[in-house]
Amino acid sequence: MRHAPRMAERAHPPEVQNRANHDVRPYGDGVTEPPEASAAAEPPDPAARTGSTGAEPGTPPSTGPGTTGAPGAQLSAEPRTAEPRTAEPRTAGPRTAGPRTAGPRTAEPRTAGPRTAGPRTAGPRTVTARATAAGVIVSALLILAIVLGSRLLENFDSALLPYAVATVFLAFGVAYRYTVWVSAPGARRLFKQGWRSFFSVANFRKAPTALPRMIATYLGFQKFLGARSHARWAAHQLIFWGCILASLITFPLTWGWFTFTSGSGSGPGYEMRIWGFKIIGFDSLDFLGWLMFHGLDIAAVLVIPGASYFLWRRMKDRGAVTGQRFAYDLVPLIALIVISVTGLLLTFSSIFLHGGGYEFLAVLHMVSVVFTLIYIPFGKFFHIVQRPAAVGMQLFKYTARQDQEVLGCRRCEEPIDTGPYVDNLRGTMRDLGLDFDEWAEYCPRCKRVLRGSAYLSQVKKGFK
Amino acid sequence: MMGRTIFIDPGRCIGCQACVSACRECDSHRGKSMIHLDYTDEGQSVASLPTVCMHCEDPVAPCAEVCPADAILVIADGVVQQADTTRCIGCANCVNACPFGVPKIDLQAKLQMKCNLCYDRTAYGLAPMCATVCPTGALFYGTVEELQAERPGVQVADTFTFGRSEVRTGVAMVVPADRVRWPVPGGLPVVEINGKDVRR
Repeated sequence: MRHAPRMAERAHPPEVQNRANHDVRPYGDGVTEPPEASAAAEPPDPAARTGSTGAEPGTPPSTGPGTTGAPGAQLSAEPRTAEPRTAEPRTAGPRTAGPRTAGPRTAEPRTAGPRTAGPRTAGPRTVTARATAAGVIVSALLILAIVLGSRLLENFDSALLPYAVATVFLAFGVAYRYTVWVSAPGARRLFKQGWRSFFSVANFRKAPTALPRMIATYLGFQKFLGARSHARWAAHQLIFWGCILASLITFPLTWGWFTFTSGSGSGPGYEMRIWGFKIIGFDSLDFLGWLMFHGLDIAAVLVIPGASYFLWRRMKDRGAVTGQRFAYDLVPLIALIVISVTGLLLTFSSIFLHGGGYEFLAVLHMVSVVFTLIYIPFGKFFHIVQRPAAVGMQLFKYTARQDQEVLGCRRCEEPIDTGPYVDNLRGTMRDLGLDFDEWAEYCPRCKRVLRGSAYLSQVKKGFK
Repeated sequence: MMGRTIFIDPGRCIGCQACVSACRECDSHRGKSMIHLDYTDEGQSVASLPTVCMHCEDPVAPCAEVCPADAILVIADGVVQQADTTRCIGCANCVNACPFGVPKIDLQAKLQMKCNLCYDRTAYGLAPMCATVCPTGALFYGTVEELQAERPGVQVADTFTFGRSEVRTGVAMVVPADRVRWPVPGGLPVVEINGKDVRR
């Protein structure tokens, strides 16, 4: 791309770069498009106009001669070699064009996150420094909160020290990753717009219930997952509420914020205290007491079926299996199941085995929890941190829609999205050096039709 | 352009929608077709244009670049995957930034979906569903050498212009031999809308 020198240097061989100096203007002055308004009135989804499915089997790809460097195999002035393709990330120089192997691709995936930061974004070094600073500040604040919340470690349970240390690492990792994430142009702009909508008094006056409603339906009950699949929604709800319950219990416990004291020294009357202040008194032998002491078992009972369903699906569902990665897709589920099962076994050991094997199980449980906490910022679990930010995006769109600021396609006038949203996207595209941002004001279908008619009128007249 | 990829020849497309039906059978988005079939001059001509994801290489996948949730993965052999279901927030940035108008979005499910070159098939050396069923060869899967062995004299182009920008793609289009060194117009700038000249 000419306007992104970094990319052009990397990807275009010299012959292609020289094309920029070609003295013939490609395909005339511009692109025309069909004048018929009727085309615009068509439904955008071609699937709505399904035709015959009884077409004859088409032409399967030929495996004829010339698969390696046949004469006339030059493509768009790019030199092609006969070497087999490699799975390495592409670099400058001639690209290879040999046949692919028939085995599954094992290439390491790349993400388009910080790597794609364009010329108008903060440099990677600045982002790293900022992210490190954020990580250090957040973890220092957490340590301070642990010390103060446990009354200068008076209530701190030293048996839970590894968990507490893991949460400090977790705090660093989440703050670091979050900062890197919101530094990329797409996330940064929506992040700002989300907070702007959140803090807008005018928005609040117009729709005071919008935000709580979105938090409840989107983050709490996850209605959007129901639209994907009812079974996945149910399984995710089980995991979600189980994890929420477990987090609410274990995090304050490991930080020394929760304490249970008994006036008599041995019960059955207990007091639950937060930061040393009494919150509730209960009898450990009644139902409330049972709930208090088995909260984590309940959480495990919720998580195990949910995570097991997803694990089963990851082995059976052909859609889920496509492109599935062990570390990203399977490890989180295995981790959840291991944590839950070892946690339940602790209860089993204390009730039925008189504490037999308790120490070993406690260490196994601790190791699995510590691993999972430290894994959170790097893998699939990061969606726990990312997803709430999406409420900001929804609020941003919702408030603009309330103000009737919907932008129609410049050609067919079908609504695209809200005007402020499209402006925001155009800004993101310019940040990234994608200089065709004007195109964002056309609906996808009109983009395709305009490209098709340009091809029809300028490349292959009448498609001949 | 990838070694083994789809070559689109709109001149051969008869608009039969076999590709649209076959696409629904793809394992990674069963029941939903991701290919687009558009009639470019409806009412005047039977010309039709199938559109699959072009798997942009330079700039690398604009859809992935504008994604605020890092949900779109570009794997090393150039295939731009559809959005990760865990991460996608349904903001539609990709839908509106894609210069080819490819991604679809389910606003209820807050999920983007798009052609992933039938990764469940191509990863094992099989042709994508659309190319497998296309009766006229408007969608051809293979290497450029395989294409040229079957259709002597055919040339392909993998660079498109959008205004002042050029986008080089992993999927290519068939072009006349004398046009091969020029990029294919992408439709921008638009000079006329519904019969009205919009040039300034």
